[in-house]
Amino acid sequence: MADFYQTGIITTLHRLGKPSLERIEAELVEHSKTRPLALVLPALYSEFEGPAMPKIVEELSKVKYINEIVLILARASEKEFLKVKEFMAPIPYDVKIIYNDGKRIQEIYDTFKRNGLDTGQDGKGRSAWLAYGYVIAAGNSDVIALHDCDILTYSREMLARLCYPVVSPNLDYVFCKGFYTRVTDKMHGRVTRLLITPLVRSLHNLIGSHPFLAFMDSFRYPLAGEFCMSLDMARVNRIPWDWGLEVGALAEVYRNSSPRRICQVDIAETYEHKHQSLSADDPEKGLMRMTVDICKSIFRTLASEGVIFSDGFFKTLQVAYLRMAEDTIMKYEADAAINGLAFDRHEEAKAVEAFTKGITMAAQTFMDNPMGSPLIPNWNRVTSAIPGILDMLKKAVDEDNR
Amino acid sequence: MEGFLNLILEPIKEVYLKFKLFFPSFLAMLTIVIIGIAIAWAVKKLMLKVFKAANFDSWCDRMGFTALLRKADVWAKPGDISGVVVYWFLLFGFLMIGLSALQIQAIDNLVSQFFLYLPRAFSAVVILLIGYMVAGFLSRAVLIAAVNSGFHYAKLLAEAVKLLLTVLILAMALEQLQVAPSIVLAAFSIIFGGIVIALAISFGVAGIEGARKMIQGETEAKKEEKGDVEHI
Repeated sequence: MADFYQTGIITTLHRLGKPSLERIEAELVEHSKTRPLALVLPALYSEFEGPAMPKIVEELSKVKYINEIVLILARASEKEFLKVKEFMAPIPYDVKIIYNDGKRIQEIYDTFKRNGLDTGQDGKGRSAWLAYGYVIAAGNSDVIALHDCDILTYSREMLARLCYPVVSPNLDYVFCKGFYTRVTDKMHGRVTRLLITPLVRSLHNLIGSHPFLAFMDSFRYPLAGEFCMSLDMARVNRIPWDWGLEVGALAEVYRNSSPRRICQVDIAETYEHKHQSLSADDPEKGLMRMTVDICKSIFRTLASEGVIFSDGFFKTLQVAYLRMAEDTIMKYEADAAINGLAFDRHEEAKAVEAFTKGITMAAQTFMDNPMGSPLIPNWNRVTSAIPGILDMLKKAVDEDNR
Repeated sequence: MEGFLNLILEPIKEVYLKFKLFFPSFLAMLTIVIIGIAIAWAVKKLMLKVFKAANFDSWCDRMGFTALLRKADVWAKPGDISGVVVYWFLLFGFLMIGLSALQIQAIDNLVSQFFLYLPRAFSAVVILLIGYMVAGFLSRAVLIAAVNSGFHYAKLLAEAVKLLLTVLILAMALEQLQVAPSIVLAAFSIIFGGIVIALAISFGVAGIEGARKMIQGETEAKKEEKGDVEHI
């Protein structure tokens, strides 16, 4: 059982005792009448061939408080799109599938491009952003929840706990991030454990107290892909299209709302999904690319808050990070030992070395071009540039689903 | 025998003479059509380049023309569509000119009718384009004004204004095209008149109480004025 300690400046909702799923779901059914909920699922076709998606669809079929599901399907042929439509058919409420590679959606992307709106490269960030656009265009929902489609341990309790703080008008949070333990026979979540937390804390040591660093350090699992937010947040938040998606999205949440209305919730006892390779030698692949993008996002956010970076600062940061990360490894080693988990200290040290390299690369990129921002403009700006875009998007999706 | 041969050869000679007369015209028609295809193709290419340079697609996106095309499930770029329309329009025009080179009375009449109809078609297109922009502008103005006045059905009202204006514009365009003008006029009068009567009735019925209060207030004010004692 978790403790009830509140960490940091945001609210932490723990799993205390044995909360009843039936009670939460019954309340969600009531609350969703005034705050209808849309579930956004960014998915690749390959995920429908894996073991996770059948379980997710089976669980979602039992949920009664979702108003609509918006699934954005990427890397799929037309035949595969039709297969996915059939696959989602058992779900008894409205399911819209955005066919990302279809001619209509591609024309929508072209429309953004020719109007000077850079939506970046294909990926989860851009897909999620487009799905928010559809939810806004449809105008049927007030709350958006999002989770990945590769969760092997998915249960509908996960979704209920994720949505509850935002859907419930009594709590009235505008953004809720999920967290969970990433443990099997060993600890996973290397990027969170060995990069983000030590980096944020070493930045804190160098810069001193800073609200953004306090905000980031408050999240128990900042890289969790599961979150729920009000529709207004979807309108005003910009979304990074690169691999710094989760951190960049949190930076936007920090910018556009008060920490008092942000929470994190323990959504699962265990969580298992596909793992990324480290790719220490290739900054364009795997966790290394993620490392570089995450660090860039943190540096840019801090710079926009007035923090001044220099070559000297980054050199000190590398050393400070390395020391902090080494200390962290020792803590996790002890944690693994007492819980009887496997712990490969050498692998962890190798990961830290790779992350240090990643920080250096991110620092170099930032110094070369501090303005280079991979953020997709928010929907308010998009509708201002192209007034009819939401109607076009809705038409494209509705026609594809006809 | 000679008479019999003449009977056979005469029609052939006649056909040959007619063909001899017709062939240059036919060649002229073919030449005009081929040149027309080349010109239409070149104009289309030129237009596409000009549209690209002038950011025509982007302009259409901002003005709402692209949204209009998408509503009709047309997903090509507005510039490409305009290019194709101009290409076929020019091709059709050259085909008409080519057919007139055949010097056949019936076709000549058709061609002259076609060219006489062109200004009407052009006017109808202009009416549709300007009308669409005006309808969009007024609908937006109504939406903003209604929202600022705290009106609950602002979006509905704006949509209603847009619908009414669209009906009016379509009627004007059809009238310009002379497509069954009497039917269009009658249909428009019935629809528009019906809407206005419905609005008048609903406003009247809903406003009975308000009007009564206003009249009562007015009468009481007059009574008070009469009863007032003037103090010098």
